[in-house]
Amino acid sequence: MTLIFGTIFIVFTVILYIMFLRKDKAKLNKAFKKSRKSFIQNSIRIFAVFILIGLLQSFLSKEAVGGFLLEFTGVKGILAGLVAGSIMMGPAATGYPIAQYVFNNGGTVSLATAFLASWVMIGIITLSMEIKYLGKNFAIARNLFAIVSVIIIAIITGLLI
Amino acid sequence: MKVRIEKILKDYPIETSVVILAFILIVLNPKRAYSGLVYATKNYLNLLPVIIAVALLIGFVSEVLTKEKIAKIIGKESGLKGVLLGTIFGTLMVGPAYVFFPFFKELIDKGANVGVIASTIGSWAIKLQWLPFAIAILGVKYVLIFNLLILAYALSSSIVIPYFVKKTKP
Repeated sequence: MTLIFGTIFIVFTVILYIMFLRKDKAKLNKAFKKSRKSFIQNSIRIFAVFILIGLLQSFLSKEAVGGFLLEFTGVKGILAGLVAGSIMMGPAATGYPIAQYVFNNGGTVSLATAFLASWVMIGIITLSMEIKYLGKNFAIARNLFAIVSVIIIAIITGLLI
Repeated sequence: MKVRIEKILKDYPIETSVVILAFILIVLNPKRAYSGLVYATKNYLNLLPVIIAVALLIGFVSEVLTKEKIAKIIGKESGLKGVLLGTIFGTLMVGPAYVFFPFFKELIDKGANVGVIASTIGSWAIKLQWLPFAIAILGVKYVLIFNLLILAYALSSSIVIPYFVKKTKP
């Protein structure tokens, strides 16, 4: 699915290049140079992020994370979910089963939600990347606002469900 | 050669530490560390087309799109329209948000509103294509409420975040 989308995405950008840069060799070269540079940089950074995620996932099983979270309830539960979800990250599809595990084993809704929401919204692992590309102010403001939002979302879903 | 290694250490301190950490873990617990590395390689290869496309797009934006054009579509003046455009983009896009960070940087450098970028990254948490799976294991009611609240967070971050980001130099 990601591979197919990625290929379509490449075809789309190639069409853009053909449409707009076909006639201008100098600009085309500059664009390629910039692309190559950001490809190499981005590859190194993303691969490092994947190594961390991979290590976290193979050293911390779904049961280990879920079991740790289940020791907490109430406000402590929300905070534990928030911390665990911010440290751990990965595709949404990997986060859902952990939330399900917490649900099925008697964890509160707000605990599971705090974990799941911070899993998809906050990334400590990618924070340095966010600062490097988008600036310190942006990264800190965005993550702090995300933390506040995670707590609010956890409380609201806890009340509604 | 020596200069290059020093440059790598200077440019990628965190990435280098990650590699060292991986080596240490390989010694301590080869089986688990190995499966972590396999995960990293698999995911990187899977995302390779997206990473290539993002890089090409950055080159394209920097050479073809003018500041005026970007400012008009997703700049300050674009208002709610720009924010909604960013939110839709974030909801539908495949791959993790951080793969697109350099692309966002390029857009901000060219006059995009940081609020639009904030709501784009915020809405990345929704992932429309995974909703059927989420509903199957967590239930319709929960998944709907959860994602509507995330949408509210993404939209409000377009208002909150610009307050904390200093205006970029003209």
